[in-house]
Amino acid sequence: MIKRTIYIGNPSYLKLKQKQLVVQEPETKEIKGTVPIEDIALLMLDHYQITISNQLLIKLQGNNVAVISCDEHHLPFGMMLPMYGHSEYSERIKHQLAASEPLKKQLWKQTVEQKIENQKALLDLNNKVSEPLAEYKLNVKSGDSSNREGIAAQYYWKHLFENFSRERFGEEPNNLLNFGYAVLRSIVARALVSSGMLPVLGIFHRNKYNAYCLADDIMEPYRPFVDKLVYNYVVSNNYYELNKDTKAHILTIATQDVFIDGVVRPLFVAVTTTTSSLYKCFTGDLRQIKYPELD
Amino acid sequence: MSSNRYSAYRIMWVLVFFDLPTETKRERKVAGQFRKKLIDDGFTMFQFSIYLRHCPSRENAKVHTKRVKRSLPKHGKVCILEITDKQFGNMELFHGIKEVDLPQPTQQLQLF
Repeated sequence: MIKRTIYIGNPSYLKLKQKQLVVQEPETKEIKGTVPIEDIALLMLDHYQITISNQLLIKLQGNNVAVISCDEHHLPFGMMLPMYGHSEYSERIKHQLAASEPLKKQLWKQTVEQKIENQKALLDLNNKVSEPLAEYKLNVKSGDSSNREGIAAQYYWKHLFENFSRERFGEEPNNLLNFGYAVLRSIVARALVSSGMLPVLGIFHRNKYNAYCLADDIMEPYRPFVDKLVYNYVVSNNYYELNKDTKAHILTIATQDVFIDGVVRPLFVAVTTTTSSLYKCFTGDLRQIKYPELD
Repeated sequence: MSSNRYSAYRIMWVLVFFDLPTETKRERKVAGQFRKKLIDDGFTMFQFSIYLRHCPSRENAKVHTKRVKRSLPKHGKVCILEITDKQFGNMELFHGIKEVDLPQPTQQLQLF
């Protein structure tokens, strides 16, 4: 089942009533809508005048909802997740902590390979030259010690958009990409928590200032799906501003169809397939982590 | 979004019709509790004693049907009906002689 994404972009009171999230207009006290909490996956708070009750927060966390708050640039700034989203939490953490260095390097290799593969597929889809990427993919070593990921990315960005450099605070459409990645990151972090893993402890990312290293690892092969969404929007509308329309478009990332493990699934569901296969890799039941294919 | 995943044939509406005895104080309490459980489960009132819920898939509709069955009161008549969004959309609705809009299926993405 595809769970729902709720975006709050206007002044609102959010409260809990009879296990429903109630959105109320603060001035008129008018009820603008109710949503069953068990149906929600993401709750995005994108306005300074939003008031939320603690009772509601607890209920949201009890249902593993990722609550995302946005800053003055309307970009996702913080995320709130429950401390444990799985009944076997402690057992699973043990396996994650015990993962050996060679295993992590192997998993990272698979991750990079699939990321490059998906980047290549996106270039192919838009009739751009993609041959070098195939070669980069073949040469990924364990732990990606020769940094094929970076080299592939350089080529990829240069050919996907014209006159474009991918930077965190760079020019458009970086703003759209950042927004999409932030949403994707929270979807992945949520799935990791619900599979009983610590999103803090990555297989490759290990920046001491980063609280979501594992989410950043696992989301890599999913990034091209965001790129595809942004690319299609930018090309057909020639529009770069991050407003309500573009956000609504990018927020559909959760329902994009992806091909994973032999079936077509919405991305939101595919991410949980990936995270549960990751856990099986940690326990030794699987050798290959399941990633989506872009086609 | 691909249409087959969220289509008019997969989206289900669960309708619950009920006639519960309300003669005594005790009966009214039981009826009230049943109604409250429906609301807790995400049902909304369509007409007095008719509640409905939008479910994004058949599996999900089964879940909610099962929950209603579990909270059935001892006495009184209850009918649970699952229909597709397609069938639901063919419904005609009137307020007086004026035709009114049908309840909208909930969107996967909702902006407030």
